[in-house]
Amino acid sequence: MKQPILRAAFLLLGAASISTAPALAADVVELKQPSAAKVVVMLRFQNGSASDPKGKEGLAFLTSQLVTEGGTKELTAAQLKDKLYPMAARYGARTDKEVTTFTFEFHRDFLTQFYPVLKGLMLTPSFTQEDFARLKSNQLNYVEQVIRASSDEDYSKFALEDQLFRGTRYQHMTRGTAAGVQGLTLDDVKKFYAQAYGKNNLTIGISGNYPESFVQQLKKDMDALPTATVKPEVPKVAAPKGVQVEIVSKPDALGSAVYAGFPIETTRAKDDFAALMVANSYLGEHRKSYGKLYDKIRTARSMNYGDYSYIEWYEAGGNNMLPVPGVPRHANYASIWIRPVQIAEGLRKQYPTELGDLKVGQAPFALRLALREMDGLVKNGMSKEDFELTRTFLRSYTKLYGLTSAKQLGFMLDSKFYGRKDWLQELDGQLAKLTLDDVNKAIKKYWQVQNMYVTIVTDDSEAQPLADVLKNNTPSPMSYAKVVREGLPKEILTEDEQVANYKVNVTGVKVVDTKDTFK
Amino acid sequence: MKHTFWALGLAACLLSAGAPAARAQQAAKGAFPYAIEQSQLPNGLKVVTVPYASPGLASVFLVVRAGSRDEVEAGKTGFAHFFEHVMFRGTEKYSKEKYDEVLKSLGAAANANTSLDRTVYHMTGNARMLDKMLEVEADRFQHLKYSEHDFKTEAGAVKGEYTKNSASLYTQLNEKVADAAFDQHTYEHTTMGFFKDVVDMPNQYAYSKVFFDRFYRPEYTTLLVVGDVKAAEVNQLAQKYFAGWQRGSYVPNMKQEAEQTAPRYVHIQNANFPPLLSLSYKGPAFSDQSKDLPALDVLMTLLFAENSELYQQLVVKEQKVRFVGGAPNMTRDPYLTSIRASVVKADDIPYVKQRIVQALEEAKSKPVDAQKLADTKSALKYGNLMNLDAPDNIANALSEFIWLTGDVQSINRYLALYDQVTPADLQMVAKKYFVPEHLTLGTIGPKDTGGVQ
Repeated sequence: MKQPILRAAFLLLGAASISTAPALAADVVELKQPSAAKVVVMLRFQNGSASDPKGKEGLAFLTSQLVTEGGTKELTAAQLKDKLYPMAARYGARTDKEVTTFTFEFHRDFLTQFYPVLKGLMLTPSFTQEDFARLKSNQLNYVEQVIRASSDEDYSKFALEDQLFRGTRYQHMTRGTAAGVQGLTLDDVKKFYAQAYGKNNLTIGISGNYPESFVQQLKKDMDALPTATVKPEVPKVAAPKGVQVEIVSKPDALGSAVYAGFPIETTRAKDDFAALMVANSYLGEHRKSYGKLYDKIRTARSMNYGDYSYIEWYEAGGNNMLPVPGVPRHANYASIWIRPVQIAEGLRKQYPTELGDLKVGQAPFALRLALREMDGLVKNGMSKEDFELTRTFLRSYTKLYGLTSAKQLGFMLDSKFYGRKDWLQELDGQLAKLTLDDVNKAIKKYWQVQNMYVTIVTDDSEAQPLADVLKNNTPSPMSYAKVVREGLPKEILTEDEQVANYKVNVTGVKVVDTKDTFK
Repeated sequence: MKHTFWALGLAACLLSAGAPAARAQQAAKGAFPYAIEQSQLPNGLKVVTVPYASPGLASVFLVVRAGSRDEVEAGKTGFAHFFEHVMFRGTEKYSKEKYDEVLKSLGAAANANTSLDRTVYHMTGNARMLDKMLEVEADRFQHLKYSEHDFKTEAGAVKGEYTKNSASLYTQLNEKVADAAFDQHTYEHTTMGFFKDVVDMPNQYAYSKVFFDRFYRPEYTTLLVVGDVKAAEVNQLAQKYFAGWQRGSYVPNMKQEAEQTAPRYVHIQNANFPPLLSLSYKGPAFSDQSKDLPALDVLMTLLFAENSELYQQLVVKEQKVRFVGGAPNMTRDPYLTSIRASVVKADDIPYVKQRIVQALEEAKSKPVDAQKLADTKSALKYGNLMNLDAPDNIANALSEFIWLTGDVQSINRYLALYDQVTPADLQMVAKKYFVPEHLTLGTIGPKDTGGVQ
């Protein structure tokens, strides 16, 4: 009774045995796991939203969605969904600035049944007007409404990139701009598909339990892809002169969400990236309570839910506890994420007798504190003890980046992007070799607090008073409730004084209405 | 023919998801593909080990069967979650700073989360550090010590979390729906709690001691370890670090919710957000003995899957809806079975509601095709199996059954029920749960009403 599966597998093997001769274009990365239940196939093309033609921002994203949400030459989208339903196979596309990754995950029992679908979607996608209209409408809705009204944290992060990469092809969100998405046509999609996904810019990743013949078949079939003729435009941006602040003003925000960043010229491709990882982990490891920023802003002062720092793009930090692959980039920047802190209106309401005449909430204090911490590291470096502990942490912690085979495979594909064989594997050796001096050199080389961009998404009642404080570098004393202030140790109160008067090198402050973002 | 094929494919899959010898034996016992070893200390702490081939890595979960459901006193909503934060504030032996230092040296991914029925503390890291992991966890579960100042300070972080979450209108609507749907039961508030209670948290130091004393007890807790470990090692360490933990005596006095007799309605007016329609019907409590929940799960998967008639009509053809989906909730007491639709134009909300209700009504009278039923069961089982590919994912799946029943083995009893679900069961649950009087409607739209009241 199991014959159908066996027969199909045999056919596949047969096909493989004749496909050895021609040299095939696509690179292949394999992660064999003979006892796994799943097979994961990733097709990584070196084109993303930075490849969007001017005026068509959002095209790469929409094209990738249309490939995975539509049908094939043989099956309509509805027939395809019917066929796949009992298999619970999953697939989807992730479009980042420079790459687009199609990921297919299916149970190994369905290898032969699922494969024609994968092949059909990639080589002969149906691209119907119906699917196009639906997906374009959803994408436009995200750009116009959802991003402004769901997570102010993501909002401030995208708004920071808008500032940091202004005038370049990195500026817009991967989902595009309102005007860009509005103007997209089905012909644009078809054209981009033909230009962007080619055998010459494809890396194939396969993990799990699969026969060798499957690899050969996949390589052979993907060789039918055309030659890609477009490339992402990678920007080279410099830090601004001074600290440039943009405040996005929106109605009914309960807090101020802050993101700050400046370009850095290192990536996983360079060996000193590991050194900077140690410094960054010490300052603000993502979603960990032992970073300095978290310790001072959240633990000691109870100002928000968390505070972290980054030396590369971190996908969906509000959801992901560990980094995800599929977002490698050549143009890089360092950043600080301060989760929403209280605005004056909220504090006045909560503590009318103590803080009733407060004009500005906690954002200026939080920003000053974060920059001062980074500044301190630039000036003084890390201590030997902190260096050792942080390195020990990272040598274990980074082993969790590839907990599932899909993530491991994704990081291997990212490694190729950076010209490495297997960055996660190599990282442990790089960390082991590091000295304190390497780390402190990397800090001095890449970090500074004089020149950067800051984006703050906040309530319309807070925007102008906040802008005034930052523009004039007015001292911003911490506004504690009495219940918290009473028990604070003296060191904290002394440090508060210094933070409140810490000079930020602000050279420009602009208030932007939420309606005018991502246009 | 296709039917038999799928059934066989499924069996083959269950037989092959782990190491060859052990898995065959395990599959015969239940649908969960890995061997589960459970023991209990005399103080009531359950200890569960699931060996899994994740070389050098293990996940350690402590599942406490206390969540916002157990916040039975007025003015104390959100406390289970708040307490989750307080648990990171240190002990006599390991101050907050020392605890952080140990965690950092372990290089583990550690965190916690709270929901309606439980609080879960989890750590994934180096399996060879298991001794230290259990030592620090056992220490804070038994000897937590925090000053009034630390307590008050942590309250600010919780308000910060509320602030962050509240940016989402979905969060706001969930709050309103729960509040409207329940009058007596503590499910009336979300896990974050009522905002007024969150604001008052700094004043609840004394109560926090009571809370710890009640719930951070071995009889409320299960230690679960998944990964590159052996049961003997886990049991021995559990004995070493948790045996001295004293059993408690508290049992919360849960109020039963009276039967809802008329539909209820809540609305959020906002012109700058995609319009939303939510239908929440009173659903069943979790049971590993009743087919109600598996049948509802199958029915709702089938009704709202991307290949369903409803989805194809509303989302693909008419394009009046961006997304529609629904699933029953697995909760200790009867909660809500919710369906949500993101509607393109707010004016279509009444139409979309009518189409969804029509589909639910049809499910009461029209038996489902046997093939469709088999395909749906296959989709659910393969969907579950595909998720079990890392120690933390496996621990997450198991912890759900631990907090629902206190017995990890209920996962196999529950999954076995799916095989017994018949087309008649789907009609039965549709009639039993999609009752118009048991509905709470929620909408988000630009006008002062969603037009469906």
